Amino acid sequence: MTDKYLIEPDVNFVREIVGLGGDTLKKCFQCATCSVVCPISPDTKPFPRKEMIAASWGLKDRLVGNLDIWLCHHCGDCTTNCPRGAKPGEVLGAVRSYAIATYAVPKTLGKWVNSPKFLPILLLIPTAIFIVLGLITGLLDFTPGGEEIAQTKFFSTWLVDMIFIPLAVWVVAIFAMGLKNFINDIHENALLEGKTDKKELDFVGLIKALIRVIPTILKHDKFSECTENKDRATAHLLVFYSFIGLFIVTNIFFIHLYILQWHGPYSQLHPAKWLANISGVALIIGGALMIWNRLSKTDQTTAYKDWYLLGLVLGLGLTGMLTEITRMAGLAGITYWTYFIHLVFVFNLFAFLPFSKLAHLVYRTVAMAYNEYSGRQ
Amino acid sequence: MTEDKAAPANGSILVVGGGISGLTTALEAAEVGYEVFLVEKNPYLGGRVAQLNQYFPKLCPPSCGLEINFRRIKDNPKITVFTQTEVEKVDGTPGSYDVTIKLNPRYINENCTCCGDCTEACETEIPSDFNFGMNKIKGAYLPFEMAFPARYVISPQIIGTDDAKRCKEACKYDAIDFDMEAKTMNRKVGAIVWATGWEPYDATKIDNLGFGQYPNVITNMMMERLASANGPTKGKITRPSDNKEPESIAFVQCAGSRDENYLPYCSYICCMASLKQTTYIREQYPDAKVYIFYIDVRTPGQRYEKFYQKIKEDENVFLIKGKVAEVSEDPETGNITVVAENAVTGEKIKETVEMAVLATGMQPTSATAKLPADLKYNEDGFIINDFEKGGMFAAGCANKPSDVVSSNQNATGMALKAIQTLVRK
Repeated sequence: MTDKYLIEPDVNFVREIVGLGGDTLKKCFQCATCSVVCPISPDTKPFPRKEMIAASWGLKDRLVGNLDIWLCHHCGDCTTNCPRGAKPGEVLGAVRSYAIATYAVPKTLGKWVNSPKFLPILLLIPTAIFIVLGLITGLLDFTPGGEEIAQTKFFSTWLVDMIFIPLAVWVVAIFAMGLKNFINDIHENALLEGKTDKKELDFVGLIKALIRVIPTILKHDKFSECTENKDRATAHLLVFYSFIGLFIVTNIFFIHLYILQWHGPYSQLHPAKWLANISGVALIIGGALMIWNRLSKTDQTTAYKDWYLLGLVLGLGLTGMLTEITRMAGLAGITYWTYFIHLVFVFNLFAFLPFSKLAHLVYRTVAMAYNEYSGRQ
Repeated sequence: MTEDKAAPANGSILVVGGGISGLTTALEAAEVGYEVFLVEKNPYLGGRVAQLNQYFPKLCPPSCGLEINFRRIKDNPKITVFTQTEVEKVDGTPGSYDVTIKLNPRYINENCTCCGDCTEACETEIPSDFNFGMNKIKGAYLPFEMAFPARYVISPQIIGTDDAKRCKEACKYDAIDFDMEAKTMNRKVGAIVWATGWEPYDATKIDNLGFGQYPNVITNMMMERLASANGPTKGKITRPSDNKEPESIAFVQCAGSRDENYLPYCSYICCMASLKQTTYIREQYPDAKVYIFYIDVRTPGQRYEKFYQKIKEDENVFLIKGKVAEVSEDPETGNITVVAENAVTGEKIKETVEMAVLATGMQPTSATAKLPADLKYNEDGFIINDFEKGGMFAAGCANKPSDVVSSNQNATGMALKAIQTLVRK
């Protein structure tokens, strides 16, 4: 230890981590059991022992731009084996939400997503946009007529796309801005902590590494190495693939509408519709399983940020399926309003994606790719 | 200044446990004139200390001090020793307790000369509890060379067998008596000191450290027996699987201790014990490497700190800050790999050694076997001394994890507390 390191503790940072579900972090006495029992921690500079001391000392810079907080899959093996009840798994979870809020601008939104106080605002934003924009353009019809029930008569497909396409662009833009800083930070931190010997960051190499880790992600290989929370891998896999399925479905129907000029509702016999229905069911089962797992693990801290996302996932699945069922049952009023609520959920999930816990899909992927690229053992 | 020099009528003291704390309490009280009943469940006195090879930090043999204590007991008519005896019931209040004790049969009377003919005659072999099952002894045995009382013991396992007959026939002194039966006795005492001591924590409960799965993972108390001249290997430290002289040994500190999942408290003695055992190894094997994995090295006080500093100077001793959380065995060689993160360098260490010693902690005997008296315990099972109420006190490791020095100091204090109960009555 010849290097000198000036410690600049950030007390507010410690307080925020505590508030985000890391309330046990001060119990850590640095025995390093966690780093050994973690099934996915590397041999070179393993985590989460060093993250625990950094959190406890308020060394924000050592944590926010640290790729290891993303390599953690929250298996919970560390938390179970921790001799002090310091729950490293939960602390890293809290640090991740802090990191998400740091990289996403505007920061206010990050704050809103992490606090139950602002939930009404988050729900009101899409509601207001839908109604105002719908009334101005006339694409929202509160008294849709006709024999056949079609969601587009009430909430026009044009209105949906008018809102959601710019939204997608905004999400990509925010992620792009965040990622630029994120990649620089994790590289700098990796150099500082000796996790890599690659001095210069080579983006082509990073992208190649990304391609190499995709099969790991698709198969949830890392997640499956966990012992304590093995059951969580199943739930996560269900939700993960249902989102992929629904993403494919959305694109297929987008092509139908804009290129082939076919308007919905589409036949239940349409293969994309099968995929949609299977994905919907998988989403509901996966979401419910996730909530069930959280509720049955009493030694695990579940913070508001977790419930917000879990609520959205399950709500999204339930309102989606309900919209379809009520439409087929001919319950016009119910189906239109369920659809409206469904869109509010979709908006929350998408618009606040870079700010919510769901942002892990981008950060963890990039961190895993970087780790692969770094050549760390 | 008082004229009445005799102890009060009901002025006797019951000391439960004949380990170092119990011995000290009994002697301190008896040597100032109080009548003491010393009750011990084992067939011998000395407790855990009798199993130790050396004391830290002076590295002198405990047999020396024990011998002196046994001598003092022998010479003191105020002390009545009951071995193989347990307390069954305690009634009454401070100053006046009615105690029921149960004496289990030894099957050997005072005629025994320790000639050893019964051991010769006996064919049945049983694992030695004294040596933690590392060797076997005959069904008729002397607990250890300088056992007090110096009398053989018949294991209940051979009662009613041909072996029993053989032993009885072999005895020239008519010392074996199979008609002995368990009996209960009542004693009136004014104060009770519980010196019920400790058990080594059951290392098989710590599932990631491999004890009970891999023969070359042993506990620190087993190491004491291996290093003892009267131990299973006659004092030569060899590993259990193949009796090889180990060239490398890892000490796993806090094996169970300071861990909410096992023993949440620090057992106080394990750091010094491992450092002491390092000297055993380094003395026998000048080239052996010793790796000590720790959370913190706790060597309180100037003398212990000095001892630690001295061990640290040995270039074959490696102290690594990081708790071992994974242990595996190479089935081919029987070697043990311990895994830890070196918290100073931030690297994961996989050290393969020929033998690993788990520094298991102390669990109070009262945690697993509740005592038949109205006592208060803390959440870990140690007896809390209620000085307000008085009458009954815990001494030594029944009260808190401690080394021999503090146990003796504490035991002396509790002898005084017991005496005060009698005098103030």
